Amino acid sequence: MSTRPIARLVTRLAHTHRGYALARSVAQLRTRPIATTVTLSVLALVLALPALLLFADDALGGLAQRDTMRPSVTVYLDPSLSDLQGAERAGELASRPGVESTRYLSRDEALATLQRSDELGDVLGELGDNPLPGSIVIYPDALPDQPGEARRRIGALVERLSAEPGVDQVHYDLVWVERLGAVLSLLSIATVLLTALLLLTALTVIGNTIRLELLRRRAEREVADLLGASASFRDRPFLYTGALFGLLAGLLALALSLVARAIVKVPADELATLYGGDALPLLPPLALLVLIPAVGLALGITGALSGLYGPSRVKVRAQR
Amino acid sequence: MITFDAVSLAYGGRGAERSAIDRISFDIPDGAFTFLTGRSGAGKSSLLRLIAGLETPSSGEIHVDGVRYASLKPRRVTALRRRMGLIFQDNQLLLDRDVFDNVALPLIIGRFSWSDIRRRVPMALERVGLGGLGGAHPATLSGGEQQRVGIARALVARPRLLLADEPTGNLDADMSREIMDLLLDFNHAGVTVLLATHDTALLEHHDLPRLTLSNGRLAGREPERAAEPSHASPSPPRTGRNRS
Repeated sequence: MSTRPIARLVTRLAHTHRGYALARSVAQLRTRPIATTVTLSVLALVLALPALLLFADDALGGLAQRDTMRPSVTVYLDPSLSDLQGAERAGELASRPGVESTRYLSRDEALATLQRSDELGDVLGELGDNPLPGSIVIYPDALPDQPGEARRRIGALVERLSAEPGVDQVHYDLVWVERLGAVLSLLSIATVLLTALLLLTALTVIGNTIRLELLRRRAEREVADLLGASASFRDRPFLYTGALFGLLAGLLALALSLVARAIVKVPADELATLYGGDALPLLPPLALLVLIPAVGLALGITGALSGLYGPSRVKVRAQR
Repeated sequence: MITFDAVSLAYGGRGAERSAIDRISFDIPDGAFTFLTGRSGAGKSSLLRLIAGLETPSSGEIHVDGVRYASLKPRRVTALRRRMGLIFQDNQLLLDRDVFDNVALPLIIGRFSWSDIRRRVPMALERVGLGGLGGAHPATLSGGEQQRVGIARALVARPRLLLADEPTGNLDADMSREIMDLLLDFNHAGVTVLLATHDTALLEHHDLPRLTLSNGRLAGREPERAAEPSHASPSPPRTGRNRS
């Protein structure tokens, strides 16, 4: 297909108000390639860090939802109980107050799990019979955030379960789950704070870039004003420049963080496997993929608005 | 028709006010070619800025084409400016685009269609003797050519009023004469022209009505008739002729 009709269409569009603004914005970026590249790089790096933190938060959040990472109580049954009886007890316990769900782990499943362990595999192989009892993993209802209250509720549950007939031992380990929860919670807060700071930085960079552009192209705005241009006509190219900076920086940040994610994928997958989680998907959720450029775009527009109409705005001499 | 009724303009804040225009009254009929003269700092540019709606008078009233500025919102004053052509001593061309795009700017601002822009810009350039130079960069043109581009830009939207602020100030005598002839041609076509200048050679060369400013005041008007109120009278023909 010939490019002439396209060129004609572009020329025609470039002489409408919005097309003119877009053409001027692109020209602004193109005429100063070094300055544009530096600004885009700074913005992309500033946006890439929160993007990476978002990816990490998403991955850790998924891991924390795994059964192995949820607070649980393990009830070891009397070895005399059959798997059928054990499964029945698991179903029965699932309907008790304070219990969200249960999972029965048969004797054979317990043996198979231990045989996969390097240290115990050989020892268990030398034993004739399966010495392991069946067990029921009990997941309590959602626990309160306060560690003391959570501990009290689990304690009451353990006490009730210990008194049940056919129960040999009750085992729970809340402390490490609490620690992990506290670390994840701290990471979440740090992520939010750091993200807010970095976004504020991006906003300042874009606002300042637009302010400098306004100073550099003051004459153009004054001429437009003298020729009877409306404020929106004068300001729109700068708004579009901010939006372009934000959007391009968002896309660059996304690309950077995807590269970083690909680099850490192998060790992250190993870590996830250790905690019973799945391997990291190749791509983060679509919502996150869209969110990062969208945040960049929003920051670009907001930064441009602050440069245009904020307290340090650059006024045009020709204006009344 | 331009009417000034006891118009004053002061710059600066309270206590440090400096009067740029001091209670000036005059009328300029439609289709007239009027010189605005006076020494540097006499208030010529301020007066043009008032007519263009770029300044708000401290007191008094301005009517242009029967529209009272004081009753208009700033947005309407800006829209009114699109019906005027403005020419400056330093031509105010944008050096980051070619001649075509410089001349097309008022049409883009005025939301003219692309077919109109494509038709009008070459016509305007042809009219000022720069046909075929649409693709040239303003920086590659001579001072006179640049001023012609400025005139083409001022006239491309076919305004009824042309305000020119020292358009020949940076040009030699020959080029000044060419620019002046061009402005007279447009005046012949019915455009009202108000030309601010302190170029005595130009003033002596053309027998045209003039308003003389001194320290922000109207120090003289020639002939008296041109400055008299003429609301009721139809647009008079040209009020002056090139002596040469």
